Amino acid sequence: MKRNPLNNRFLRDLRDDLGKYVVIALLMIFTIGFVSGFLVADGSMVKAYNESFTKYNVEDGNFRVQRRMNKAQWKSIEGLGLYLYELFYREFALDNGSTLRVYQNRDQVNLVCLMEGEFPKKPGEIAVDRMYADNNGLKVGDTIRVAAAGGEESGAGSAEKTETAGEPNPGETWQITGLVALSDYSTMFSDNNDTMFDALKFGVAVVTPEEFARYPDDTLYFNYAWKYADPPETETEENDRGEDLVKDLSKEIRLENYIPRYANQAIRFAGEDMGSDRAMMELLLYIMMVIIAFVFGVTISNTISREAPVIGTLRAMGFTKSELVRHYMAMPLLVTLLSALVGNILGYTVLKNVCAGMYYNSYSLTKYVTVWNADAFVRTTVFPIVIMAVVTWGVLRWSLGLTPLQFLRRQLRRRQMKRAFPLSVRIPFFDRFRMRVIAQNLPNYLILLAGIFFANILLIFGLALPQALDHYQEVVENNLLSKHQYIMQIPLDAMDEDHKLVSAFRMMEFVSETETENETAEKFSVYVLRTPTDSPYHKEDVMVYGVQADSRYVSGVPASEGYMQKGSAKGEAAGGSQSATGGETAGGSQSAAGEEAAGGNRSAEDAYPEVLISKAYSDKYDIFAGDRIELQEKYGEERYTFLVKGVYDYQASVCVFMEQKALGKCFDLGKDYFSGYFSDTPITDIDEKYIGSEINLESLTKVSRQLRISMGSMMYLVDFFAVAIFMVLIYILSKIIIEKNAQSISMAKILGYTGGEIGKLYIRSTTVVYLVCFVATIPAVSALIRYLMKVMIRLEMTGWIELYVGNKVYVQMLILGVLSYAVVAFFEYRKINKVPMDEALKNTE
Amino acid sequence: MFLEINQIKKAFGQGDSRVEVLRGIDLSLEKGEFCVLLGPSGSGKSTLLNIIGGIDSADSGEIVIDGEPMSHMKEKQLTMYRRRHLGYIFQMYNLIPNLTVRENIEVGAYLSNKALDVDELLKLLGLWEHRGKVPSQLSGGQQQRTAIGRAVVKNPDILLCDEPTGALDYKTSKEILKLIEQVNKTYGNTIIMVTHNDAIKYMADTVVRLRDGAIRDTVHNERRVSAEELEW
Repeated sequence: MKRNPLNNRFLRDLRDDLGKYVVIALLMIFTIGFVSGFLVADGSMVKAYNESFTKYNVEDGNFRVQRRMNKAQWKSIEGLGLYLYELFYREFALDNGSTLRVYQNRDQVNLVCLMEGEFPKKPGEIAVDRMYADNNGLKVGDTIRVAAAGGEESGAGSAEKTETAGEPNPGETWQITGLVALSDYSTMFSDNNDTMFDALKFGVAVVTPEEFARYPDDTLYFNYAWKYADPPETETEENDRGEDLVKDLSKEIRLENYIPRYANQAIRFAGEDMGSDRAMMELLLYIMMVIIAFVFGVTISNTISREAPVIGTLRAMGFTKSELVRHYMAMPLLVTLLSALVGNILGYTVLKNVCAGMYYNSYSLTKYVTVWNADAFVRTTVFPIVIMAVVTWGVLRWSLGLTPLQFLRRQLRRRQMKRAFPLSVRIPFFDRFRMRVIAQNLPNYLILLAGIFFANILLIFGLALPQALDHYQEVVENNLLSKHQYIMQIPLDAMDEDHKLVSAFRMMEFVSETETENETAEKFSVYVLRTPTDSPYHKEDVMVYGVQADSRYVSGVPASEGYMQKGSAKGEAAGGSQSATGGETAGGSQSAAGEEAAGGNRSAEDAYPEVLISKAYSDKYDIFAGDRIELQEKYGEERYTFLVKGVYDYQASVCVFMEQKALGKCFDLGKDYFSGYFSDTPITDIDEKYIGSEINLESLTKVSRQLRISMGSMMYLVDFFAVAIFMVLIYILSKIIIEKNAQSISMAKILGYTGGEIGKLYIRSTTVVYLVCFVATIPAVSALIRYLMKVMIRLEMTGWIELYVGNKVYVQMLILGVLSYAVVAFFEYRKINKVPMDEALKNTE
Repeated sequence: MFLEINQIKKAFGQGDSRVEVLRGIDLSLEKGEFCVLLGPSGSGKSTLLNIIGGIDSADSGEIVIDGEPMSHMKEKQLTMYRRRHLGYIFQMYNLIPNLTVRENIEVGAYLSNKALDVDELLKLLGLWEHRGKVPSQLSGGQQQRTAIGRAVVKNPDILLCDEPTGALDYKTSKEILKLIEQVNKTYGNTIIMVTHNDAIKYMADTVVRLRDGAIRDTVHNERRVSAEELEW
């Protein structure tokens, strides 16, 4: 087979147009490298995570009791087909404002992975969680200290004993000997009921058995892990056994806490989250590749326009269209292939660590080994080449679709412009000139517009998210329901149906002990429902608050007289007809139009409890006054329908407000039932054992704090990509415009125009178009990014954070956009100055 | 006959602006014949050349080359027809700027199964010393010689030359004409050359004069004058 001499052009093209190829290749290398690094790190870490269950013998679940179990209890529980392991811990509030949960080092279950340093060998030494250490600036050899009594309180919102943590040993110190990852704490959930983990203010650590033995029993949490003797084979079986086990355990012991592994967020969350970003990263890669492919398309069109007579001659000589398409496709594909290979090498080496670092910023994962990821290679090499091939093939088939004669005559427009579009002579000459340059390069500018649109999406996201988190924190702080919200905890023995007498006594004791003298305190009830199982969105718990009719903390809650007389929210009447109405049940919302079907022959006004929903609920699911919402029992199938009467300005959580007595009726709670207190001052006269948790600013803003930590570095990267796209696009397109007009520029120089004047003609046109595109795309981009964020949060997260885009973001965008433009324009001005005057006099070859 | 052209008609535009460029051209050429198409601008000579070359189409009529009719050829077949049978030389050289002289000629050789030896051709064209240069390092005459080499190296049945000396000075033009003459003699290609230079007619076997899209007269020269002897 003969070698095509046209192939000799490739290296020379590369050398002649090095600048163009280098910037495009760099953009591709970083895009592919980053995505490859991400996919490799993700795949390797997911593998390591999945294998960690066996490697570190991770528990099948754990439960907590109030007192150390005796031998008989132990024996009877193991008789249920379990192996039990002690997993006691103690919590300490440290002087850095965080809470450290300390275990004795494990050798049987939930083994510990040593990441750095060594395990503690003697009392006074400690190995702390690697991520906790990173986030709190701790390293091996440092000393950590228990907060002095009355010092900083634990902020982790941890259950039960957190408030007292640290009191027994104020001032006690440990020396950090190692950084570790506990296999049952890949995600730092201090409490399994928390909506978000806290990698900053909560950590775990291990000490020697001798050190742990020093802690008195009354300061310990008696937690036990179990492994099934006969492990369940399927997830369903695991769930069934978990549900049965809690009943069996309750017969033997009084449970304070019960978390089977499948429900343990500290173990499962990271696994579920890892991999969920894959789709987004791949989408980023594909969009970038399409943009780069179109940039190549534009450069190819420009080359074809420049080489039109040569192409005409080659076609006249007998070169087929396909041969020429292949010839002009070769360089983009070659550059893409090389970029993909270099990108993958970078991905597997440097960038993998950057991406793994992002996971290590959020999760305390054990060590991983990089594994070859064929799927990632295909996605970051084959797919980009295919995208490049398809786009350039399309552009080339179109561009080379003219006849040889048209090429020879340089008639490259399919529809020839009959005459120049008229421009008033009153428009200054330079402006008219610029307008014609813009008209001449309209297709190029359309690519610029598409590129700017995409780059602006990245830029606005990268700049807005950190500010949105700050804004969220501010908004939450400014419209807290009350400064303190205490949720009471009814002792488990007050609900023991097998011992009714004891249970009644405990309940009476609870009621009397949870009264307070605090004048700002106001009782409220709360009942936790969840969004329906058939909702297409991420399922989440929804707190239904029952507040007093004249509440000073939540005003305007609808009166419930009608509902109290005749209504019912339960699903038998309402829920049964949901699917028949075809109404959306996504966030639990339905339009009122379906009421007749849903409510049967009842008046909907009376039938359902009337509620206010929080602004977060309204914003997240687009539910407004007049809509109905449907929610479901957290651990059951029963559904409840509520009529939304208004939106309450509360952004901290997705929740519902109704009258306390209506809530009592709705969920068959006694008329004296209450769950806790709103209060503007701390309540000090209730025994802490009755206070289940306190909802305060710290706990409500966990989400934003965590997002800031886990996505902080990612945002800079997103900004980098945006700026890179701006610069590459502007560079390539201005270069094309200058090359296209090289003869005119040269002629203008011969006529006596200065380089600066010519720059004003050719560069300023691009400046104008760039600025117009940049500013014009911002509103659309802003709307689109908010919409995407809403969809993403609906699909992937509980709670709601509005992507607030403040003016500061727009100013930053403008500064970055203009600066990146200015850098490129500077080089383009220099290029104009370099166009030689004999260009205009040269033969077209 | 090697090339038969029967009743070729071609018009541009529609309605009032319709212009008949070719009004029924008939022409027959033997293999190896040197034909000059002569005529003023707009007479239709280049259009006729492009139709013979398969890069333009006739509205009606037929062209048969070596017994193969062109009229029902699709685009791909036309490309193959050009590839197999034709070599093109234009007034503008249209060389590939980042290929050397030798490589530009090899581009032509690549298309042919009966390509001539490139080295020999380079010597024949007087380009041997310049074979490693790119077009921008060559004079106009050298560039046109390279373009001739690119067309000739295919050893085409028909060499189509559209004003090959139009952009050259007298001396260089004569050199180019001598070269074409030499190629015709050496390789026996049929040559059709479009020119408005009346003096060139003497070096042809057949001279076809066109005016307003029609053949005014066809002259068969008894004796071809060598390019060396031409004066204008």
